[in-house]
Amino acid sequence: MTELLSDFHEDVDHMTDEEFDAAFEKAQELSAYFREIGPKYDIENTFAYPTIAKFKESGLGAFSVPKRYGGMGGNILQTSKIISELSRGDSAITLAYNMHFIMVGMCMGLFSEEQNKLWLGRVVEGDIVFGPFSEQRAGFSGLADMKAVPQPEGGWRIYGKKVWGTLGEASDIVTTNATITDAEGNLPESFEERVEAESFFVAEFDVDENGQGDGIRIEKTWDALGMHATGTHTIHFEGFYIPEDGFVCEWRAGAFGVLEWASLMFASIYLGMQYRVLEEAREVLSKKTLGATFGAIAAAETKVSNVGHIIDGIGDMASRVELSRRVVYRTCQELVDGDDDNWPVELRFPYIGLAKTFCSENVMHMTKRAMSLVGGSSFKKGAIFERLYRDSAASMFQPLNSDQSCTYIGEQLLAPDELND
Amino acid sequence: MSTFKDADEVYALIGRAMEACVVEPAFVEATKDGNLVVLIKQTDPEAYILVDFPGQKVLVGDAAQAASSTVQLRMSSDNANKFWQGKLNFTLAMAQRKVKLDGKRSTALALLPLTGPIFETYKAILAEAGRTDLLVG
Ligand SMILES: Cc1cc2nc3c(=O)[nH]c(=O)nc-3n(C[C@H](O)[C@H](O)[C@H](O)COP(=O)(O)OP(=O)(O)OC[C@H]3O[C@@H](n4cnc5c(N)ncnc54)[C@H](O)[C@@H]3O)c2cc1C
Repeated sequence: MTELLSDFHEDVDHMTDEEFDAAFEKAQELSAYFREIGPKYDIENTFAYPTIAKFKESGLGAFSVPKRYGGMGGNILQTSKIISELSRGDSAITLAYNMHFIMVGMCMGLFSEEQNKLWLGRVVEGDIVFGPFSEQRAGFSGLADMKAVPQPEGGWRIYGKKVWGTLGEASDIVTTNATITDAEGNLPESFEERVEAESFFVAEFDVDENGQGDGIRIEKTWDALGMHATGTHTIHFEGFYIPEDGFVCEWRAGAFGVLEWASLMFASIYLGMQYRVLEEAREVLSKKTLGATFGAIAAAETKVSNVGHIIDGIGDMASRVELSRRVVYRTCQELVDGDDDNWPVELRFPYIGLAKTFCSENVMHMTKRAMSLVGGSSFKKGAIFERLYRDSAASMFQPLNSDQSCTYIGEQLLAPDELND
Repeated sequence: MSTFKDADEVYALIGRAMEACVVEPAFVEATKDGNLVVLIKQTDPEAYILVDFPGQKVLVGDAAQAASSTVQLRMSSDNANKFWQGKLNFTLAMAQRKVKLDGKRSTALALLPLTGPIFETYKAILAEAGRTDLLVG
């Protein structure tokens, strides 16, 4: 890293309100398109291929790239608003492109000046980035079993596989983590050495229409409860060559300072979904009439918008949306203003993660509640509510999840004052 | 058993490396307009070193303790010895509570990538003082 992060933040903060409004309009158009085609790709259980051209056309891929590299210079709060707007249209398609925004955000804080010029320049030209990190043994927190074997001519050959490779089918640039081995491909023996050797790389991702590349390939394995259109496939690295200038930094030390881009972009996805759940629930429940009923309410004509628990339910959902919005916006703003400096350093990561876990808990609560309020029709295939219910379940997994956040925080707070030597 | 005899030895070795640190051009450039004053509190042996980056000065012992600081860094003297030779992974040490950082985080952490040249200086100081036994392999 050749510059202080504070200089960097100054630079990205410069998107004006007018520029933001123009970009947001583009996001609204793209969101409407995602909304229109989302159901088809949910049913077909594939990546939404036609979105690639539309996404590139929108220019939004360069939204958070600093202006000095040719991007729009959106900060993390402005980016969050764009993501939520897209997610309001379609959560699965947006979760896929979210990977691009996460990786651009993380990379620009970790790349050298030359790497920023090269790779962010490519993003400005329309290239898409993805980041397969998680492996089978343990997700994001697992040290990479994937190996980077040093080559006599310089650079590394990468061997291993990543089982959560969202957006690979649309991507031109791959970022990943692998552990640098000795020349024979042996991983370091001690835990400390493994941490030191785990490294972050960036490289060209050039595969054909069947996902086959030189030393790298996509195996189409994605088949899950929800988030069908994310195309979260397995990426095999089979001697994939990364030249020396593809090394970015030591992975964990680097990631520590930029993980907000992952955590808060996920939060923004689930906030956007909350907007959509509320919108859809209001749409149905403000109009639905049950006619003559005999039960909790026995009447000749029962309009659901007059039923107590439905009124409360909508009020509760709207309150959750507003609270979530404030939590996400406020967290982003504290980062923009540098107020996170006042948080205990060891709690920075889980504290940033609180926005994501809060949105996650709320969106899961809301999708379930919306189904119960709307009634049985919401449970049928093709109904937006069952779709949102399935998609929202994915929020349990991306880092940090609620359980891990609480463990992280509790452990720190209960630790003795003495150092752990 | 600590690697250092006593606090005075810590000051003579690590304190001296810090004196080189505050005039190192990369640090001077990165810290000249800020208020980064780091109080390094070492344990076993107990020792205090205050590194005033904008003021380009280093205080030790009681004077260091009495001065005000914007960042407090706590670690054992053994870990400090490793750290100043580039042999302590700071992020891991923080996660494992071997190092404790309090106060303004961002400026302090932004300096980490600049520490490289100091490692050689510290190793040279150890060699000059005849303490090559403190060199970490
Ligand atoms: C739709 C979707 C898309 C995704 N896309 C990507 C992607 O593009 N790139 C990518 O890298 N990943 C991606 N992921 C993977 C995701 O980030 C997680 O890595 C993955 O869900 C596995 O992690 P986990 O913690 O859920 O499970 P595991 O790591 O298997 O954890 C199992 C259990 O242990 C707990 N646990 C895990 N680690 C720790 C720890 N350090 N301390 C204490 N407890 C722990 C967990 O909370 C859980 O209870 C995606 C996931 C989903 C659902």
